[in-house]
Amino acid sequence: MIVGGCDVGSATGKAVVMKDGEIVSYVVIPSTTKPEITARTVMEETVKKAGLTSIEDLEYIVGTGYGRLKVPFANENISEITCHARGAHWLSPTVRTVVDIGGQDCKVMSIDEKGSVLEFVMNDRCAAGTGRFFESMARVLDCGLEGISSLSVKSENPAVITSQCSVFAESEVVTLINEGIEVVDITAGVNNSVAGRLNSMVRKVGLVEDVALTGGCAKNEGLAKSLEGKLGVSVMKLPVDPQIAGAIGAALIAAEKLSKKTEAISS
Amino acid sequence: MRALDELTNIASNLVNPAVEEWKQQGKKVVGFMCTYVPEEILYAANILPVRLRAPNCVETTSADVYLSHLNCTFIRSCLEFTLEDKYKFLDGLVFTNSCDHVRRLYDILREIRPTDFPLLYLISVPHKVDDDLIAWFRDELDRFKESVEKTFGVEITDASLRNAIDVYNETRSLLRQLYDLRKGKNPPLTGAEALSVIVAGFSLPKNKYNELLRQLLAELGEREGISDYRARLMIAGSGGCDNPAYLQVMEDLGGLIVTDSLCFGSRYFCEPVEIGDDPLLSLAKAYLNRPSCPRMVDNAGERSDYIRQMVNDFNVDGVVFQRIRYCDLWGGQLLHVEKEMKESSIPMLSIDREYSLGAVGQLRTRVQAFLERIER
Repeated sequence: MIVGGCDVGSATGKAVVMKDGEIVSYVVIPSTTKPEITARTVMEETVKKAGLTSIEDLEYIVGTGYGRLKVPFANENISEITCHARGAHWLSPTVRTVVDIGGQDCKVMSIDEKGSVLEFVMNDRCAAGTGRFFESMARVLDCGLEGISSLSVKSENPAVITSQCSVFAESEVVTLINEGIEVVDITAGVNNSVAGRLNSMVRKVGLVEDVALTGGCAKNEGLAKSLEGKLGVSVMKLPVDPQIAGAIGAALIAAEKLSKKTEAISS
Repeated sequence: MRALDELTNIASNLVNPAVEEWKQQGKKVVGFMCTYVPEEILYAANILPVRLRAPNCVETTSADVYLSHLNCTFIRSCLEFTLEDKYKFLDGLVFTNSCDHVRRLYDILREIRPTDFPLLYLISVPHKVDDDLIAWFRDELDRFKESVEKTFGVEITDASLRNAIDVYNETRSLLRQLYDLRKGKNPPLTGAEALSVIVAGFSLPKNKYNELLRQLLAELGEREGISDYRARLMIAGSGGCDNPAYLQVMEDLGGLIVTDSLCFGSRYFCEPVEIGDDPLLSLAKAYLNRPSCPRMVDNAGERSDYIRQMVNDFNVDGVVFQRIRYCDLWGGQLLHVEKEMKESSIPMLSIDREYSLGAVGQLRTRVQAFLERIER
């Protein structure tokens, strides 16, 4: 049984090919302004990497993410909330709280022992606490996205950023720069401000261990460290690229749907 | 489905042919803001009460000169419509002190448009209910009645009030029958359709509305029920939820809305007015005692119980609690409802929204995830 998951996000497109419950290949590409093209490009690359010739070699495909309605080759679409939960659970079955930080939203899900969603909260009304926020901070600080992560962990005296709005936070960061505050301390402040927001979202659904971070921003170690400090528990590291958790979830659901379909036909 | 089509048409616009005909006959039309306004008093004076709405209002650029972004977009949209003269067909505006947002709208109109409407009135509604306050509210309604009589040179008799209450009670009974049809496994109408029916009733003379409702009930008796849904939903939360397209987004994803606890919905009609010797006292009692808006203090529990009751009666799988941003009253109630629903193991999705339909993608993601969680 060979299936695919295609997660068309606001910032990146992710695809995974799975065979008999194992990941065969995955690819992450930047999103274009045409979700159909992002979907096709990333899925084709993933299929090629898996040694297959075309998307049609996949027996079942689930689309997810903001562009999930625009994945022309998908058999069906499932919300990214359900997919991230399923993906994180498959990667680490002890996970009960999933914090997903994507390009333009962040969400927190509490899940049960099967990986099904019990509760979720989502912020997608503004850029605060999202990849976009980190991108704009990295630009102002001229340190690259990498720097936000690697510099912040060196800070011993994090700056305080009060504004949750990315537009105002940018002005605040400019003020800090002009006051001569070290970039290292500002990056730590940026991570702390996002972690603070995530902390209240986690408290809203209820903190249950283990906690895992998914999405592109999960690669930001400074953020993970800051979140651990605020939650008072450790945040587990997923065994693969956390950015593809949603696509993995989509592929897992694809496999499930396919076997249900096959059962129905044979019975 | 002729009655349903007619009602849906009426709901999608602020003004409809029945209102135009009413105006042509030289009769008065008065807009009201909140369902704590006893419409019967206006109806008894042969005045058509029309509930204030701002359908299809997308921008509030004129209103934002006077109201801040911390005011809810429903109120800002209504001010926008006033400033754009869309309420010009109204001979009066009646408010209550239902919430601070509504009060600001009234205050601002007193400042900037004091003479646009012959009647610009705020009925003071108590925040608690006991016999003394009911008696006080009865007198407040009497003052309102006198003001209507004086402004429009009419007389409102006890007999005309009794007649109005009868007509309105019939509306309430017909709407209850309509909702009862939705309790079954295959409801004959969608939530978006039901909302259209409710909304249309706020801008029709109730005797005409009752006729249409009777036709509708007959039509629905013939209609095949809906069976292809993923889950049965209930809508709770803020007023200003008057846009069937908003519910349509959820229903397009497979969530069938079978009931609500809205003031644009079941809370409007669920209790009949019991007529006693003093019709104003009857109105005061009924309006203060029916299932409340969180503007009333100390009874958050009753409001959560009402939701739970509806969940049971209509076999609801999940509650969608929508709140217009900055609606502080429902924001406070949300805390209580969240706790209560959790304790009763009733799944609930809470959504912030604006008055006009926007951010549909985000709404879809939330509702789809919720349906994936609760579907049978």
